[in-house]
Amino acid sequence: MSRRFKWMNLLLISILLVGVLGACSSESSSTSNAEGKKTLRLLTPIFEGSDGKDILEGEIIPKFNEEYPDVNVEVEYTTYAKLNEKLTTGMVGGTMPDVLMMGVGWIEGFAKENQLKSLSEFDTDVDSLSATYNEKVLQAGVYKDELYAIPIMLDARLGVYSKKMFEEAGLDPKHPPENWDELREYAKKLTKRDSNGNLEVAGVDLLSYDHRQIWLPFLWQNGGKLFDEEGNAAFNSTEGVEALTFYTNLVNKDKVTDVGFETGTDASLIGSGMAAMAMAHNNIWTNIEQQNPEALEDIEFFVMEEEQKAMFYGGTLATISESTEYPEEAFALLTHLTGEEASLLANEQRGNVPARMDLLDSEYVQNNKGVKFAMENLEYAYPEGGVPEWLEIRSKFTEEIEQALYKEKTPKEALSDLEGYAEQAKGR
Amino acid sequence: MEVSESTVSRKNKSTKQHSVNALKFSKLEKKQRKAGVILVLPAMIHFIMFTTIPILIALWLSMTDYRVFSPAQWNWFANYVEMWNDKVFMISIWNTAVYTFWTVPVSMAISLVIAFILNQKLRMRAWYRAAFFLPHVTATVAIAMVWMWMYNNEFGLFNAFLESFGIKGINWLGDPNWSMFSVVLLGIWKGIGQKMIIYLAALQGIPNQLYEASKIDGANAFQQFMRITVPMLTAATFFIFVISLIDSFQVFEQIYVMTGGGPINSTTVMTYEIYQNAFESYRMGYASAQAFLLFVIVFILTIISRKYMKSEL
Repeated sequence: MSRRFKWMNLLLISILLVGVLGACSSESSSTSNAEGKKTLRLLTPIFEGSDGKDILEGEIIPKFNEEYPDVNVEVEYTTYAKLNEKLTTGMVGGTMPDVLMMGVGWIEGFAKENQLKSLSEFDTDVDSLSATYNEKVLQAGVYKDELYAIPIMLDARLGVYSKKMFEEAGLDPKHPPENWDELREYAKKLTKRDSNGNLEVAGVDLLSYDHRQIWLPFLWQNGGKLFDEEGNAAFNSTEGVEALTFYTNLVNKDKVTDVGFETGTDASLIGSGMAAMAMAHNNIWTNIEQQNPEALEDIEFFVMEEEQKAMFYGGTLATISESTEYPEEAFALLTHLTGEEASLLANEQRGNVPARMDLLDSEYVQNNKGVKFAMENLEYAYPEGGVPEWLEIRSKFTEEIEQALYKEKTPKEALSDLEGYAEQAKGR
Repeated sequence: MEVSESTVSRKNKSTKQHSVNALKFSKLEKKQRKAGVILVLPAMIHFIMFTTIPILIALWLSMTDYRVFSPAQWNWFANYVEMWNDKVFMISIWNTAVYTFWTVPVSMAISLVIAFILNQKLRMRAWYRAAFFLPHVTATVAIAMVWMWMYNNEFGLFNAFLESFGIKGINWLGDPNWSMFSVVLLGIWKGIGQKMIIYLAALQGIPNQLYEASKIDGANAFQQFMRITVPMLTAATFFIFVISLIDSFQVFEQIYVMTGGGPINSTTVMTYEIYQNAFESYRMGYASAQAFLLFVIVFILTIISRKYMKSEL
């Protein structure tokens, strides 16, 4: 081999090795730069878009830096759809951010595998926070009696109805459905179809959100449970089957809505006058405010009671990675993010329900009927999840409920298959 | 026959000269070979790091119960046994095969016809070529969003078209009887551009004399197309077939955006099911087993296609 070739060879291999090693080297989750500043990485599925970025990086973090000038916060934005991927790759690559935001139902799985710091290390637990938060809401951050996360915002699924359409159908606009029988009766009255049977107005919109999140309130209203105290599947009960039968019958027998009946835009069916009632996310208020503000006057909310009153709540919680090198600073950031000011800004941007009870009197909550209603009814709120396997099985809920909705399985068969899957997941 | 001394000596000289030339050529060849190795090296390193090693890791993971949170434990063939009994995964294999069966040949046929037309002397020919190629270079997610609007039940373009003829609109993505068709339709449309460009290049390589000769023999345009164009495109056709096959087995984005595998798993394809298990359920070991099976299927199909291609050429 000539000398020139040898050099070329060496040069090429060196460049490649440097590149490869550079690409493979894992950046530690928290770093300290030459100026001695500590860098914390924050992963967030909220604060989306340029508005969210302006709020987080233009208002919330600068306020934090006023108190902690030596801490540099690096923000990684994602969405809930991509959060799983981010966390998975972070865990595998050893690059878990220091402070993370996760959804309700996520904490148990990560806490079980020692990926999160218990907040008891910072003298924080459910008791110390119960003056600020509804205790039911704090439970979403608890695993085996230890608090791992503090909620920033909640998102509830509520009943919504149009007073005008109630009046037109001869129903009392001050009397929303209080139980399943009334819901069914009203929905049938409110459904409008043309002479060819094409749906014009859905009596109740049940299909615009995840099937799981719409079925769960029916389960709880009927006195059912997702899991028992030992973490065993408890949803395949008489109450669960009745709830799923009621849900599927509304669509398949009573025909109060049709699969695929949608606006085709971001606007909601009820906000567009295409549904008289809906089981909807609380941000429907913000949605209608943006799409059709005149319709806000016409909208009211309700929670139903069969055996008990119940509504669904999800939300976003802030937590700390077990691998952080700066736990004190990470906790300070978590406290700041869940504080009154930051929490209000985050909720306002997303149209969500603040987890802090002291924000009930804020202008934002008082002016947002959906959020206000959800906050006033938090005592009836139930979270999904509760077992470490939840993330593994939750998508199966949607699949199996869909099977029942499309009459591929009976409600009993769907829930039995789901129970089998949940038991398998627990055994793994 | 007597051979003079001078002739022998000339022959010897010539042989020596020949072997010296051969030696020189061999050295040159060696140098070229080394240069070739150096030039191939980056691609080889890339292939080993980002293809071979991940495949081997996937094979290893497929025999473990790896779930991200905890270290992998060997479970040998348990994932493969589970896969065999997994109804949803079996549906996903079937759906992938159905998707491939419709998208590959149909889009190949359409792209051949389009390439043939665009190979003629047409006005604005370059513009048409660019227009047909555009879907291939546009982000699939953006395309899927636009098609979702077109498929919209209430206000979509397709239903508006059907309703203008008095035909009741179809729930394209929400009806399990139509959802796969809807996804296939997008797959066909999106796949035309790339195939058309390859066909176009291949068409331009067919000697014009063949057409002229056939014309003299009295062949009409259809006969020319079937007897000259199609056979002369065999190599291109098989190349397109192989890449389309691999592409369609890896279909993911439009399923993820448009249907999420639904309704009732009617559009769940293998890649989507792998994604669900890996990133939704955190079952990396199981997802690796599924991914490895996908790799084996694509690998076998590619080998068969290559063998068939060699025998045809």
